[in-house]
Amino acid sequence: MIEVTNLTKEYLEGETPTTALKNITFSIAKGEFVSIMGPSGSGKSTLLHVLSFLDRPTGGTYTFLGKSMNDMDDAELAHVRNADMGFVFQSFNLLSRLTVYDNVEIPLLYSTVPEEKRKDLIEDAVKAVGLEEKMHSEAGRLSGGQKQRVAIARALVTNPDVIFADEPTGNLDSVSGAQVMDILEKLHDKGRTIVLVTHETYTAEFANRIIRVKDGQIESDVPVLKSRHTRQEFIK
Amino acid sequence: MLIKDAFKTATRALTHGKMRSVLTMLGIVIGIASVIILMSIGASAQALILNQVQGIGSNLVFVIPGGSTSSKFSSPAAAQGIVIKTLKQTDIDNLSREPSIDAVTAEARGQGKVVYGENDVNVTFDGVPANFFTVRNYATTDGYPFSQSDVDSFNHVAVIGSSLAKTLFNNLEPVGKMIRLNNISLRVVGVLESKGTGPGGVDQDNIVMVPNTVAQSQLLGTDYFTDIVVSANDAYTIDFVKQRITSVLRQDHTLQTTDQDDFTIETQADILSILGTITSTLTLFLAAIASISLIVGGIGIMNIMLVSVTERTKEIGLRKAVGATDRDILEQFLIESIILTLVGGLIGIAIGAFVVTALYLIIATFFSSLGWVFEFPISAVVLGLLVSAIAGVGFGVYPARQAGKKNPIDALRYE
Repeated sequence: MIEVTNLTKEYLEGETPTTALKNITFSIAKGEFVSIMGPSGSGKSTLLHVLSFLDRPTGGTYTFLGKSMNDMDDAELAHVRNADMGFVFQSFNLLSRLTVYDNVEIPLLYSTVPEEKRKDLIEDAVKAVGLEEKMHSEAGRLSGGQKQRVAIARALVTNPDVIFADEPTGNLDSVSGAQVMDILEKLHDKGRTIVLVTHETYTAEFANRIIRVKDGQIESDVPVLKSRHTRQEFIK
Repeated sequence: MLIKDAFKTATRALTHGKMRSVLTMLGIVIGIASVIILMSIGASAQALILNQVQGIGSNLVFVIPGGSTSSKFSSPAAAQGIVIKTLKQTDIDNLSREPSIDAVTAEARGQGKVVYGENDVNVTFDGVPANFFTVRNYATTDGYPFSQSDVDSFNHVAVIGSSLAKTLFNNLEPVGKMIRLNNISLRVVGVLESKGTGPGGVDQDNIVMVPNTVAQSQLLGTDYFTDIVVSANDAYTIDFVKQRITSVLRQDHTLQTTDQDDFTIETQADILSILGTITSTLTLFLAAIASISLIVGGIGIMNIMLVSVTERTKEIGLRKAVGATDRDILEQFLIESIILTLVGGLIGIAIGAFVVTALYLIIATFFSSLGWVFEFPISAVVLGLLVSAIAGVGFGVYPARQAGKKNPIDALRYE
């Protein structure tokens, strides 16, 4: 599904060239739950941005669902982001004055989904995160955990192949964080590919594979062998 | 993104900041309302003036003493207040013999004070032959116009305007009453029907008409006329009649071939053409002044849209992350500014129409003699809508492009 070969990302910091990613090579199969871990400044967020088509690499190749990113223009990248990718951000990025329903609808506005099918898709996505009773509440009035669940519903609504989650529990208390990870775990159980960026080991271990990044390079890429955490263990 | 969704998204964004949206569109509202009001006033004034000139009659030709220069807009000497004594009774007599002319009449105009009992009013008096009333289509509502025998006999009779009759006599019957005009007594024989303000701003209802013989010999002490009015025979063209008048008057005034005319001939068409040009220019000038406020309003919209783009950077980042293209974002912000200016334009048109209607009602109620015409030019509405839509695109495109160009990662990180 995702194939990355010798991926490099350089950018200018003032006049000094800085390398954020160096010759990264790995692949992610459909249905995997992968955590990308690393300390601050390691390049894990840059890697996620490239994987999620928000940024372009300066070297190497990236093939998503069999199509090379290099062959796509910005409008095509936007189309793939809309149809095949879902995003969950640390800071939720909800439009606080819109309702839950309207926030979840946003990706559909840029999709080819017919208008008459939108309502069912939105309701299904909101039900999947257990917030149907908040469907018409203003997003700004929800708790942090509820906001992140709305963000997950928004990521799910176009039925994407992969969900990219960037520190999804970073702004949440442990109970809310556990609920969010529980939802992501269930989505994975239903066959969804999840790529999670985190610096928390407990959160990373919800995945079945952890890629550790340091100084822009892959330090390790190992499967998670132990059984999954229970919610109680996570809260501890 | 469907255009319907783009409108829904834009409307939502605008209604979330209602006060800001209202204040943003205020400049456009004021600008469009000003354009509408000034264009309507200009068109009304134009219609009023042109109606008055058209009321003169298309077969009339006016002869004013004094020549005019080649410029269409330079006034004849008489119109500049210079007294010229060239138009005499012999001119009238000779013109009357022309087959291309149906009738010739004239005016010897002056200013005076008219008194009845304790009431006195400053008026314009007009010394005219008896045929003046038929040539100029002046009818009486009370009594009758004086006859040529009154003129020939120097009878002290007068026909007065309707508003003067009201001022002098209140509810009394004016016909048969004696009034004093300067130093002579006159018997009122008729009251003119209301004609409002005439061309040149003369109040035609505050006037005293007396036989020209009385006016010239006893009130003015002159033997010349202020102007001659010729009624052309319909069988001849106006241009031909003008040529004949020129020929007769040049002969009467013993002008050599190298001499310029010492009179000016004007027809209704000439006057309409000059006044039409002047009033159109005036209307355009008024609209141009009002347009300045539109530009200021448009810059206000651009300013607020730029602030809005900055404030909503994270929203732009999110929308791009979930699939919006540069074009989608550009369209959203452009539609927002077009909605702002179009709604502002519509409100401006409504306010403009309201003010124009209120003005008309006030003028019709309190200044009815002015004969103000209600004109609400559709061209002003079309122009208003067109300008507001263009302003929306023109002033919205830069902020919208700025929004569309934003990098999604930078936008998502924006604090």
